[in-house]
Amino acid sequence: MTSEAVVSAQGVCRRFGSKEVLRGVDLAVPRGSVVGLLGKNAAGKSTLIKCLLGLLRIDDGTIRVFNEEPWWLSAESKSRLGYVPQEVSLYGWMRVRQVVQYTAAFYPRWNAALAEKLVRQWELPPNDRVGPLSPGQLQKLAIVLALGHEPELLVLDEPVGTLDPVARRDFLRTILDIAQSETRTILFSTHITSDLERVADRVAILRDGRIVFHDELDVLKESVKRIRITAARDLPASFAVRGALRVEVSGRSALVAVADAGNGLIDELLATWNATVDVEDLSLEEIFLEMHHAG
Amino acid sequence: MNDATFRFTVHPSSGLPIYRQIMDQVRALVAGGRLAPGDLLPSVRQLAAELQVNMMTISKAYARLEGDGVIERVRGTGMRVRPPSARGSLADRRQQLRPLVEQAVIRARQLQLDDAEIIEVVQSVLNEPVLKEHQP
Repeated sequence: MTSEAVVSAQGVCRRFGSKEVLRGVDLAVPRGSVVGLLGKNAAGKSTLIKCLLGLLRIDDGTIRVFNEEPWWLSAESKSRLGYVPQEVSLYGWMRVRQVVQYTAAFYPRWNAALAEKLVRQWELPPNDRVGPLSPGQLQKLAIVLALGHEPELLVLDEPVGTLDPVARRDFLRTILDIAQSETRTILFSTHITSDLERVADRVAILRDGRIVFHDELDVLKESVKRIRITAARDLPASFAVRGALRVEVSGRSALVAVADAGNGLIDELLATWNATVDVEDLSLEEIFLEMHHAG
Repeated sequence: MNDATFRFTVHPSSGLPIYRQIMDQVRALVAGGRLAPGDLLPSVRQLAAELQVNMMTISKAYARLEGDGVIERVRGTGMRVRPPSARGSLADRRQQLRPLVEQAVIRARQLQLDDAEIIEVVQSVLNEPVLKEHQP
């Protein structure tokens, strides 16, 4: 997919004091895609998202959102963008209905019917004050506020963290509805891989301040495999497999996770070690774990 | 809603990409005769909504199945199951059948059936009226 990127980052660095959080991030989010940004806690997902949206300044590199520098994003571009932060802060004294009206006033194009429908669907009490809402309700409300103007680019930072299973399904359904439109782009960070597997068509994995993988989810699943090798005799100490993420050898057998099981790797293993080889498919969670084994 | 919609299930967390799961299921439904040539598949939108997965996933599965000659696109109507085609040499076609037979034989061995008993079962399947009439 080489279509135009809605968001692009090159060599983005950001440090906090002496701590380098982003160490050269390259990422291009194509228009119409649903990209899941995956990373361990403290991998820098939120920092990256804030940099992409111009909420944090970067120390080095370049970022473009709608072909503009995010720090100086124009009002017109901002109106095409929706963002749900990890920690929602809203005026506690306002009522749910008022917060929706207040937010609507900022946008020339606001779909009041859609916002109302979501408030109803997600069982948000319109006349309650925002202050005493539960974290899950607050998050739902933040999502409604981010969706009301039907943004072209929707960025969500851990959107499902505080949602119960029912709300999560509702949320995913809403995201899928949006994803049906080929012109709308979604970037969301998460560490819940099962949600990502349903909705995302692309995955970007952030590790040690860099994007270590970014491609279609299907490509990831088809290339990262766990291979069981059983040779006729004990494997030597020099046993190695190219592109291995992890190798465990025990006598005649080895368990190897590889980044790319294509390119004739399997035939090569069969020929080199005179072995039987079993290839195992991995879920995204397992792939994520394997990728964090190495190094 | 097309009733074929309810015949699909996906496991997003399986190692198999979702589009592959759908391809496998369409093939299995066709092989099992539960989708006959001419039957329509659910629309991409319908199936994506029902399974709650990205529409692109379904499109991809359908496009690959179309490429493989399992289904065909009918303008304005949707995707239709194609009559099975016997492409390839006799040796090729026998080769295609082999893994299925292997699976059946392995199962038969687990059930402790001997060769004669296995052949008897195969014979009786061949004699089922529906299958008999499709004999080349």
